[in-house]
Amino acid sequence: MQNEQMYIKQTSEVYDAIVVGSGVSGGWAAKELCEKGQKTLMIERGRIVEHRKDYIGENKAPWQQEFRTSVDNLLVEQQYNIQQQCYAFKDATKHFFGNDRDLPYNTPKDKPFSWIRANQLGGKSLLWHRQSYRLSDYDFAANSLDGYGNDWPIRYKDIADWYSYVEKHAGISGQAENLPQLPDSDFLPPFEMSSPEKAIKAKLEALFPTRNMTIGRTAHLTKPTELHYSQGRVQCQARNECQAGCSFGAYFSTQSSTLPAAAKTGLLHIAPDSVVHSLIFDEQKNRVIGVRVIDNNDLSQREYFAKVVFLCASTLGSTQILLNSSTKSQPNGLANNSGVLGHYLMDHNYNANAGGDVEGFEDEIDRGRRPTGILVPNFYYQPDPKRKFLRGYMLGGSAYRENWKQTQHQDGIGVDFKNSLKQAGKWKFSFYAMGEMLPRFENQVALHPTLKDKWGMPQLDIDCQYSENEKLMMEDAKEQMILMLEAVGLTNVKGQTRNKPPGLAIHEVGTARMGRDPKTSVLNSFNQSHDIPNLFVTDGASFCSTAPQNPSLSFMALTARAVDYALKERAAGRL
Amino acid sequence: MSQNHGDETQQCHDTSRRRFLNGFGVLVGATAATQLLGGNAISVAMAYTSQADSTSKAGKLLSQAQLIQLKAICAQVIPITETLGAADVDVHGFIDNQLFHCHTVKEQQRIIELLTNMDKEAQAQYQHSFVELSAAQQVSLLNHIELGTSHFKQKYRNDFKYLKTLICFGYYTSEVGASKELRYLAVPGGYTGSIPYKTSDASWGSQGLSY
Repeated sequence: MQNEQMYIKQTSEVYDAIVVGSGVSGGWAAKELCEKGQKTLMIERGRIVEHRKDYIGENKAPWQQEFRTSVDNLLVEQQYNIQQQCYAFKDATKHFFGNDRDLPYNTPKDKPFSWIRANQLGGKSLLWHRQSYRLSDYDFAANSLDGYGNDWPIRYKDIADWYSYVEKHAGISGQAENLPQLPDSDFLPPFEMSSPEKAIKAKLEALFPTRNMTIGRTAHLTKPTELHYSQGRVQCQARNECQAGCSFGAYFSTQSSTLPAAAKTGLLHIAPDSVVHSLIFDEQKNRVIGVRVIDNNDLSQREYFAKVVFLCASTLGSTQILLNSSTKSQPNGLANNSGVLGHYLMDHNYNANAGGDVEGFEDEIDRGRRPTGILVPNFYYQPDPKRKFLRGYMLGGSAYRENWKQTQHQDGIGVDFKNSLKQAGKWKFSFYAMGEMLPRFENQVALHPTLKDKWGMPQLDIDCQYSENEKLMMEDAKEQMILMLEAVGLTNVKGQTRNKPPGLAIHEVGTARMGRDPKTSVLNSFNQSHDIPNLFVTDGASFCSTAPQNPSLSFMALTARAVDYALKERAAGRL
Repeated sequence: MSQNHGDETQQCHDTSRRRFLNGFGVLVGATAATQLLGGNAISVAMAYTSQADSTSKAGKLLSQAQLIQLKAICAQVIPITETLGAADVDVHGFIDNQLFHCHTVKEQQRIIELLTNMDKEAQAQYQHSFVELSAAQQVSLLNHIELGTSHFKQKYRNDFKYLKTLICFGYYTSEVGASKELRYLAVPGGYTGSIPYKTSDASWGSQGLSY
């Protein structure tokens, strides 16, 4: 199909399905619906980003950039004050971040929350860190064991096949380890470890038999399959400039992977620049029948209609739409008979790290920029009342040789200084912790009673903070990282905890959680609204707990599973 | 390392690029490869372009005199060797532009103050401005400032350390610094965990997004 036919603006057509959002979840919903014969309208609030053509920062050497990868101060101050806190915010990527000036939200003064936005076709699938991990039964059972949050209504066996299904399409590289707390994916070959990493792994696993070190599992094509070639994707070139966009299609994004598959069916239509204001609800039939949209540019209003609606607008985006879709009979937001919509907001906690010097290996260096690090899976996956905190964390990390960025701080000027900076420096190794955050009712979002954004959407009030449990966990992570690094022989080991606000892990989940009981959850075990049968929410909003793993792979699997279920339900006449 | 090293690196880039493009063409077809890579994927200008020198007039932040002084400092911190030095690739011009657009007023003032104080010291010790000093005198003065020896204050030392980070950033993100002095792989083609390294090898100048 030609693009001009795929992109639509005005239409009175009743689609088989509407998908709100085009990121990891929305792309998967659209692909699955289209491939199952559904005429699908994907609604994206932002502009069109065409694969390759619109990766305007890609492969630009620093000297080809006006500020050598930095971003203009004034621009940051006025438009990207929140977004610039993200590690991936650079001159080559800044156009894929939302503009803070246009996207206001509110937090209590003492509870900052950094909401990272990516409002364009592809959403955060363009900007994600691509780490891809399955959840395990330890994760699905965690809430029921310590009583924080509600029990996930699914177990690993319910989703294992769906993980395999999405992994084959997306392409996940990694090393099979057969660990109970971190099930293996259907892997493409792993990225290599460097020699110091291999040495540290060997010592660590010998000294701490319950602690493993594996290569980071990442959605990169280390060895593409025919399926990947058919999507127009080729092997990862190890540039590690992914967030600028990848013309090789070597990492999974909507543009590289799900959009071409959906478009190939001829059943996909996309409404770009369409900010969803609310869902249109038929009270008598108890069904959503479409969405109200405000034009991103001229603020005009229009509506789109469909038989089933998939909300994939991001965790807070989907919940904001539901909250703003209240009706006479549902005054607290649509699909909120339970009253928990907006509650149990979580993010991961990345507030501890440690590192040190690695002796030796001076006659080796690595080559290429590996787009992943190493991973130490959660070693606290079994509850233990002796620990001072609940749940656990994973460790990320990597070894690297120092370069001018580190060695520039030495004293001296002139030829010797220049020659010294020319050489590779010492090997270093560092860890950082990725901690679970407990689901708590009081961590919540609500609509501001009066303040609106420029599209007329009520602004979100976000009230969320890490609790003592998360702080104690980070203290423990720091101590354990130091203990392990010293045990494996690193020198000058130093660790620290930090106080960065939630949001910055960009793993916000919860606020429309799944559950078995309609009285205490928004969605059932298939991401279907308990209250409204033809409404599905398949992004991070549906999560019952964070687990320590990066969530995006689970967004994919849950979405594909939900589409399969929805169409079976429709065939059975129940939607 | 001789200038030849740079030439070899250049050839190496071109060769690996060609090899890569050839392989890619075989993989997806030559037409598709051109289409796939059009514009963005392989767009690094490999040719050396000579640098402007920003000392011909006042900059965005610094006066012409301050730019001339900064150029002299750049020349001493990262001098010309087998490859061009910081002054040769207009790092002083880069710093003026970068301070103006990407740094705080406080950071801008810090550099201006350092330049002023440095000139005062030059006058006090040698009765000349910094740029009028001999190379040996400039080196001596800069070393004293950096080491905090003689009567120099800790503040000078910190400010000079800060200036050095700006000079290094400007130099090692320049085409010469990143790809001639160091080794630059625009498209590595894959990741290898270990290759041999000897101290005469240049470090990698290519850092992806993490400069």
